[in-house]
Amino acid sequence: MSAYMDALTYIVGSPVNLFFILFSVVWGIVFGSVPGLTGIVGVALLIPFTYAFESEQSLLLLGGVYVGATFGGSISAILFNTPGSPEAACTALDGYPMAKKGQAGRALGIALASSALGGIFGTLVLMLLAPPMAQFALQFGPPEYFALAILGITAIASIGGGSILKGLAAGFIGLAVATVGLDPITGVGRYTFGNNMLLTGISFVPVIIGTFALAEVLTRVGEGRNSKEAITDVSTKLPSLKELGSMKGTLGRSSVLGAIIGALPGVGATTASFISYSEAVRWSRHPERFGTGEPEGIAAPESANNSAVGGSMIPLLALGIPGSATTAVMLGGLTIHGIVPGPLLMEQNTRLVYSVFISMMLANVLMLFFGVRAARYFALVLTVPYAVVGPAIVVMCMTGVYGLNGNMVDIAVMLSFGVVGVVLKAMRYPVASFIIGLVLGPIAETSLRQGLMISGYSYAEFASRPITALLLGLSLVSLIYGFWGRWKAARADREAEAAARAAE
Amino acid sequence: MKITTFHSAARAATLAGVAALVAPVAQAQDYPSRTIEVIHEYGPGGGTDRFIRAVAQPLSEITGEQMVPISVQGGGGVPAYTNFIQRPADGHSLLGLGPAQVIGHIQGRMDLDELMPLARVQYDQALLWVPADSPHETLDDFLAAAKENPGRVTVGVTGAAGFDDVVVGLLGLESDTMLTTVPFSSSEMVSNTLGGQVTAMFEEYGPARGLAESGDMRALAVFSEERLDALPDVPTAAELGYDVTLGRWRAFAMHADDDAAQAQTLYDAIEEAVAAESYKEFEAQNALQYRSELIGLEEFQAFVDSEVETYTTVLRELGYIE
Repeated sequence: MSAYMDALTYIVGSPVNLFFILFSVVWGIVFGSVPGLTGIVGVALLIPFTYAFESEQSLLLLGGVYVGATFGGSISAILFNTPGSPEAACTALDGYPMAKKGQAGRALGIALASSALGGIFGTLVLMLLAPPMAQFALQFGPPEYFALAILGITAIASIGGGSILKGLAAGFIGLAVATVGLDPITGVGRYTFGNNMLLTGISFVPVIIGTFALAEVLTRVGEGRNSKEAITDVSTKLPSLKELGSMKGTLGRSSVLGAIIGALPGVGATTASFISYSEAVRWSRHPERFGTGEPEGIAAPESANNSAVGGSMIPLLALGIPGSATTAVMLGGLTIHGIVPGPLLMEQNTRLVYSVFISMMLANVLMLFFGVRAARYFALVLTVPYAVVGPAIVVMCMTGVYGLNGNMVDIAVMLSFGVVGVVLKAMRYPVASFIIGLVLGPIAETSLRQGLMISGYSYAEFASRPITALLLGLSLVSLIYGFWGRWKAARADREAEAAARAAE
Repeated sequence: MKITTFHSAARAATLAGVAALVAPVAQAQDYPSRTIEVIHEYGPGGGTDRFIRAVAQPLSEITGEQMVPISVQGGGGVPAYTNFIQRPADGHSLLGLGPAQVIGHIQGRMDLDELMPLARVQYDQALLWVPADSPHETLDDFLAAAKENPGRVTVGVTGAAGFDDVVVGLLGLESDTMLTTVPFSSSEMVSNTLGGQVTAMFEEYGPARGLAESGDMRALAVFSEERLDALPDVPTAAELGYDVTLGRWRAFAMHADDDAAQAQTLYDAIEEAVAAESYKEFEAQNALQYRSELIGLEEFQAFVDSEVETYTTVLRELGYIE
């Protein structure tokens, strides 16, 4: 406890430190909200400046950016259907339709409140349970990762409201697209058609920017001046307690999932938001409403990805293993200060570790205030005619996608998937299923093959591990239950029709 | 060969002509005249990114110009290589060079003849690590277990069919055992080893240092010519009779047709930079001081040629190439 007081006085006692937290949250929100400038870039750009500061201060800065950026992505996702960062892709699925209904302010408010609640939950888990959670995460080997990915993928059949077949087809297209590039195990090029630049594969960020942002601009252009779906009312309104209460199941489930998935090395906020979205659909009484502006479709990914921020700090601080790409950059920042990351970090640098806890907590609270403001400035863009905003979005997307990795192929990928996005939408294939297949497919493939190598290619040994068996069993049950529900609904429809005809 | 020379001479002449029209011909004295960009294929915050930044800091004080790492990730380094090749050979673009490029060259995805090896700065050494509670006390224990259960003794590595595979594969060839390598991202490799999913992992000393100091992992052998001062009880693989000393090295390359005088100027600046206090400190923090001898230009070219030969042999024996 005295260590906490020491860290607290260190932070509160110095206006510079408080300013750092404030600055980093705002910096993070800006980086998160601009497509192509992700939290990773935001953190990486600040690292050279942290040479000059104490190690505690540099972690305050980096932690705050991480918190802010994870929320920031949702602003552009909701207002422009342009996820500012990959972890906000899911938020666009329901956030943008809600905004188009004229409730942009409400969507932003739900995203902000869920982000803060999820972020505070993740930080609490980090503060109270870091060592046991880190040990729990070590139980997850490749078979468990595989089962987790499968659990998320099985939801593709229930997403989209329309036909099961279309949901499955879109999901399988996503899975197929994900196989392009270097084989993760043997290093052989797949489906590159002799073009070595395609060895990087069809990367996820260009695809989401193409299928969401570019496809939306193309659709709007196609609608011409008659487009009636102008977004108005953008004054951010935090949801009432009653509204939050009605989503408490989704918020709780997503926060827990976010913290656990965040704590797993190699997967982070993006996976957490997709699996939580899948689960939100699965557990909802109205799965058909998802994709049309369902509040829980915003709350689930936003609470999960912010909770994953705290979660991914767990293996970093407890074991010295980064839980996500952003924490890997932070690890680099730590070593600059001569800190050896590892299990001894929490014992030897208590003030550093507790300062991180407290600053992340403060950052989440500050985000509530600054998120409202930041959204307001962004919303000013909406007063400009779409004929100006649309092309600007396209330019932003192209520079952002190129800037991310300096690879021209990514721009070609983004442009092509803009067209794919329009086609999917026009033919009523659910984009959500497609994206889930694309994100979770590589995790499932790689971990299946790693797991089989470890188990000597014995499927029985692979599937009989307790956590794997439990997760795979859950996937199977939910799949059968989902199909049964559809079948029952279809039968009820037929009976109602028959009854109506009989009544005539 | 002649044709290449002719082409580069023609290109040089054209470039000189153009340069004479627009600006005074670049001279070694006013080089570098702007920021030098170093293209590499690893993520920000990783070993190579930090290596470039650590050299860049003293280097920018010496040359008066900045040097920045540009990360073009993925694809086995091919996109980074392509990005570099497409840039003009004006001395202001460098490529982060290492075993990955040697392997890419052997696989036919890259062409080392397009590059001029400039300076090899770091020469790292890796170890074979097992979790603290592993039943294997020595490297021979470990190899005996692999002989008894072919395919069931697994080694976590980073990257698919890359440098790690070559070294672990070479150990397998030397000891006549079948070692299964399982490729992971670096953080998953550590968690899967700590969690006992794989038998051992292959990692350099710097990144694994925290786990060694806390006693969560111990090393069975170091792949280098000499033992490390930090781990005096860990034998080298060579001591135990397995001649595996390959290490990951980090270096800079220029374009093959870059100006030789500029290359010399830059090499001299790098030599001064890596002697600087701040770089030495970085080197010690990352346990890179053991065999990181700076070699440049001709000597480095000879080293790269010998690496190509070694890797070709191992990759062929392992069945990665025909």
